[in-house]
Amino acid sequence: MSSAALIGNPNTGKTSLFNTLTSSYEYVGNWSGVTVEKKVGQLKNKSGALTDLPGIYTLHPLSRDEGIAAEYLVTDSPSLLVNIVDASQLERNLYLTFQLLEYGKPLVIGLNMMDVAKSNGLRIHSETLASSLGVPVVPLVARAGKGAEELLHLISSHSIQAPDFHIDYGNAVEAAISNISRELNSVLPEHSPSERFIALQLLERNDAVLRSLAIGDEVKAKIQSICDLAEQRLHKSGVETTVQEHIHSVRTKLIRDICARVVDATNRKPNTLTEKIDAIVTHPIWGIPIFLLFMLLTFMLTFDWLGTPLSDLLEGFISGPVSTWVDQGLVAVGASEFTRALLTEGIIGGVGGVLVFIPQIFIMFLIISFIEDSGYMARITVMMDKVMELAGLNGKALIPFIIGFGCNVPGIMASRSIEQSKERMLTMLLVPLMSCSARLPVYALFAGIFFARSQALIVFSLYLLGIVLALLLAKLFSMFMFKDSKSFFMVELPPYRMPQSVTLFRSTWEKGKGFLRKAGTFILGGSVLIWLLTYLGPGGVAETMDDSFLAWIGGLFASMLQPLGFGTWQSGAALITGFMAKEVVVSTMVIIYHASDMSGLIGQIAMAFTPLQAYSFMVFVLLYTPCLATVGVLRKETASWKWTLFSIFYSLGLAYIMSFIIYQGGRLLGFA
Amino acid sequence: MSACHNCLLGLKPGISAEISHFGAIDPALKRRLADLGISIGSNITIKRYCPCGGPLMLECSGQLLGIRQKEAAEIKVAVS
Repeated sequence: MSSAALIGNPNTGKTSLFNTLTSSYEYVGNWSGVTVEKKVGQLKNKSGALTDLPGIYTLHPLSRDEGIAAEYLVTDSPSLLVNIVDASQLERNLYLTFQLLEYGKPLVIGLNMMDVAKSNGLRIHSETLASSLGVPVVPLVARAGKGAEELLHLISSHSIQAPDFHIDYGNAVEAAISNISRELNSVLPEHSPSERFIALQLLERNDAVLRSLAIGDEVKAKIQSICDLAEQRLHKSGVETTVQEHIHSVRTKLIRDICARVVDATNRKPNTLTEKIDAIVTHPIWGIPIFLLFMLLTFMLTFDWLGTPLSDLLEGFISGPVSTWVDQGLVAVGASEFTRALLTEGIIGGVGGVLVFIPQIFIMFLIISFIEDSGYMARITVMMDKVMELAGLNGKALIPFIIGFGCNVPGIMASRSIEQSKERMLTMLLVPLMSCSARLPVYALFAGIFFARSQALIVFSLYLLGIVLALLLAKLFSMFMFKDSKSFFMVELPPYRMPQSVTLFRSTWEKGKGFLRKAGTFILGGSVLIWLLTYLGPGGVAETMDDSFLAWIGGLFASMLQPLGFGTWQSGAALITGFMAKEVVVSTMVIIYHASDMSGLIGQIAMAFTPLQAYSFMVFVLLYTPCLATVGVLRKETASWKWTLFSIFYSLGLAYIMSFIIYQGGRLLGFA
Repeated sequence: MSACHNCLLGLKPGISAEISHFGAIDPALKRRLADLGISIGSNITIKRYCPCGGPLMLECSGQLLGIRQKEAAEIKVAVS
């Protein structure tokens, strides 16, 4: 079995290719830093494993996701490197290629984005590139799957040899390389990358490589003195730069020579489509209003125009025919009263009550996928960076935030691409304030009952509240809890491209699948449990629901929730069970306020809350404790219980304070 | 931030210039720029400035990127 690894600069299409070669559906998008984890798949012709890695520019990592790729190369030993290179940015991509060639393992270049290069008027001679570097080169258009078969064939042929690639870095550096190699020779384990490669990385002061080597302090000190000596010798020979800069400039010069032979740029033209779109959507005055308008349209589409009408149809189907069929079927097989109630009230009520919001959730996912795949994402970070900077964050934090609107878990993962540790930590702590799709059913249910005429606006106000609070808290946290640290912002702006409908539907489906999976696990299990808790009480089968266990549990918190406007055991119970997954709030409500049909349910809930109380409840659901899955990923990504607990408690406190202000303030203003 | 002498910040959009010197910028940012092939001698063009002191959008050998004004003020350029 062979093991190949995909390596290349960020946003060059590695994951698109990975998906084609292994028939997987990993997350793709049009910005730098989509993939933040190592992913392993089986090649579709079963000839071996393929690893997909986060994108890197050099083997010297700056951010967490880059560290993963660099570490992988030093500690694992793939038998083949598949270097994906962006043909439209050949010069910058080849820098990593050079480092990979020095790595000493068999290598094949996938020359991707040939279509982009062509539309930019560049002619790329891939045979010349292959002969200059001494490795096979396969031209690709990964998005369309072009060239993938040939590459797959080449990967599985096991015929690729390790390249014979050697750059002469001049006497001073070459002497240092052979001295370091000699030190490493006896201490390196088998299957390590070539000594020359490691020596060069050490001369470039790559701490990540140094850390991952299992060598003693004595050897490290020796290597350090060899590096220092090399620098002195370099200076003596009249080169004024550091060893790192010298190595960099030797490579860059060679790359330019190669590019001059490989790339014919005589007909080069600017990317007119990208320029035209940018002139509108990043316009100095209209850019931000256009972004806000786009968001508002998203909500109109999700709620008023398309989502709610579809959701009503689905609701009618589930509470009508489906319920009736199941009940009739159960009667026909002679099921007990208990079983019938569990299935129709508990499961169909609880799970169905959430499933009816599938249309809204999928429309939202579709729009998020469009932003991700079009190239707009990176522009938003630029336009909003100033606001984010004032709050002590980085424009790049908007990427986790926007992903967080779908689900907070991948949002927190996406913070890995933020370079500064303070800004990354802040971003991770604040992502849970982004209203994820699990909270959407709660809004859809309540806004549909109490604010039917302005659903989209009410829901938009909740999303905005989450964002505004995140920014205010970012300022607060960075003032009191983090030492002021340096910050910089740099983001690449990829060319726009029209998302392909296949990719769009696939990424929408991949996001939506998570929701459906939850419906079958947490929400189903939760619904059964909640129904049982309403059915049973301290004295056996509960006479009325007010005597049930659930009423007792919810009642413990009712008095505390009184000042917020929803001091009932029903609200208390819904919020506690909502910790599993926030959709369960809706399941609980539907089970508690059970009625034979939707209009009955609406009537019940409309009696239990006033509009002001309903809004206060929605704000509480927006802000309170992140769900179980989010807490889990926070623990993993922050590697600290302290920060995880902090995130749980600050959000609980924030929810309480905000709901209190809204309810009591609203009452003072005369709302009910 | 006021425009400074011979620096990237203050260059009119659409005018191309060559980078001559990097001042006091974060070494990590300097490396990021080098990663993208932006170093001394590179040709660089400003595409547009964001309002209210926000970042600016640049182009360097076909690659678009955004950086903050504070950093752009530390990059010296020579108009060719």
